[in-house]
Amino acid sequence: MSDKNVLIRVEGLKKYYKGDAIKALDGVDAEIAKGEVVVAVGPSGSGKSTFLRSLNLLEKPTDGHIFFDGVDITDRRVNINLHRQKMGMVFQHFNLFPHMTILRNMTLAPMKLRHKSRAEAEEQAMQLLGRVGLADRANAYPSQLSGGQKQRVAIVRALCMEPEVMLFDEPTSALDPEMVGEVLDVMKELAHEGMTMVVVTHEMGFAREVGTRCLFMDQGKLIEQNTPDTFFDHPQSPRLQAFLSKILK
Amino acid sequence: MNKISPATLWPDVAPDWILNGPQGLNDFFYKLYKCFVYDDRYMMYVKGLGNTLLLTLFALLLGVALGVIVSLIRVSWDKNRTEMRGFGRVVLGFCNAIAKVYLTVIRGTPVVVQIMIMFFVIFASSRNKILIGCLSFGINSGAYVAEIIRAGIMSIDQGQTEAGNSLGFSYVPTMRYIVLPQAFKNVLPALGNEFIVLLKETAVVGYIGLADLTYAGNTVGGATYEYLYPLLAVACVYLVLVMIFSWLVGRLERRLRNSER
Repeated sequence: MSDKNVLIRVEGLKKYYKGDAIKALDGVDAEIAKGEVVVAVGPSGSGKSTFLRSLNLLEKPTDGHIFFDGVDITDRRVNINLHRQKMGMVFQHFNLFPHMTILRNMTLAPMKLRHKSRAEAEEQAMQLLGRVGLADRANAYPSQLSGGQKQRVAIVRALCMEPEVMLFDEPTSALDPEMVGEVLDVMKELAHEGMTMVVVTHEMGFAREVGTRCLFMDQGKLIEQNTPDTFFDHPQSPRLQAFLSKILK
Repeated sequence: MNKISPATLWPDVAPDWILNGPQGLNDFFYKLYKCFVYDDRYMMYVKGLGNTLLLTLFALLLGVALGVIVSLIRVSWDKNRTEMRGFGRVVLGFCNAIAKVYLTVIRGTPVVVQIMIMFFVIFASSRNKILIGCLSFGINSGAYVAEIIRAGIMSIDQGQTEAGNSLGFSYVPTMRYIVLPQAFKNVLPALGNEFIVLLKETAVVGYIGLADLTYAGNTVGGATYEYLYPLLAVACVYLVLVMIFSWLVGRLERRLRNSER
């Protein structure tokens, strides 16, 4: 891939806890190009969530650099909040704001940070809500929604900031099985529109069908990365082989 | 000679219709008259009540203001100290140290002692009892309010902060738009309780001779040798005040909760 297209470049990323007793990330190098859908998989505790959360500095790396749009966001002088506006994030537990309506959840950031007028922000929010089939719930509160609906709202809330990349941290892990599909459908649609996405998930079907590249992480290291077909059909490292044989049974 | 005994003590005190009233009731009416009507004594209660409410109101305002400031200092320090550098860190660290001393001293000593120190030592040259009372109770209440609000902020899931940050909000707007509104809703019952405690606690202000409601009851009791009715009346006034206040807090709570159902 040409350098121009690289959106995020990660160099020697390390995250240690308790001194260096726990190495959540132990020297990860990776590049994510525009339009890619990168899916990170691995056993629990492998560091894939920490990796994803480091990309927008929700986890402060112990060492290493992250370049976003060519800017080293691990530099202390960089205002990370400006860059976070361009990196949407979706959480396992949705993290909608329970004291605000769905519409207000979505318009808060565009109005306060992008200084959009209420009308403008609401029009955009309603359009996005319509796309995920929730326009009629605009004035409901998060507690009135099902898990799948909440996660769809969380996705469009992030989209309201018109991000350049979307980070998904196990977006379907907290959902009832019958609601997983509706969330994956939204993500699929997003991928087809060319959104750059980094996804941590246990949904191997999604990884294979939608992903353009799969990463396998274990013990804080990036063990293997490949196109989904090669990744699942011809895994190279023994650890990935063992992992896949366990979950694809 | 069917006159009741107190009347013979102070025959000129009560009007005839009370002294000559029905047997059994005239004694009761006479005591009420003595404790509340004679010499316009009801005005002592009214003025006392006024002072109590004034003390509570201003102590409450000062307490909330102090509590919010102190809790925000404590929370921001705990959250940001590992990432801060330079001058800002020194200032916040210093404020945090002061806040901790304040909390320890105020919560570790009786409010009666605090108010006496304020009146007899720190402001020994001032005779403005109301001002000193408001200041003492405000400073005292602030320490408790600070810990209540801090607990409320810490009760909000970390994911809320992360969601705010991930949208691009920095620390202060995240607190303002996302964390504090939820924290306030969670601590409202505890805050209401603190204000009830404050209202009743102002009763000790008599120690510096400020004529509040309790002081009025005590004074009338001393003057008439009849403590039952003055103190009963004072207790009832406190009770009614607390009930009104609880009802108001309950209404506010329901109103805030409505947004979630």
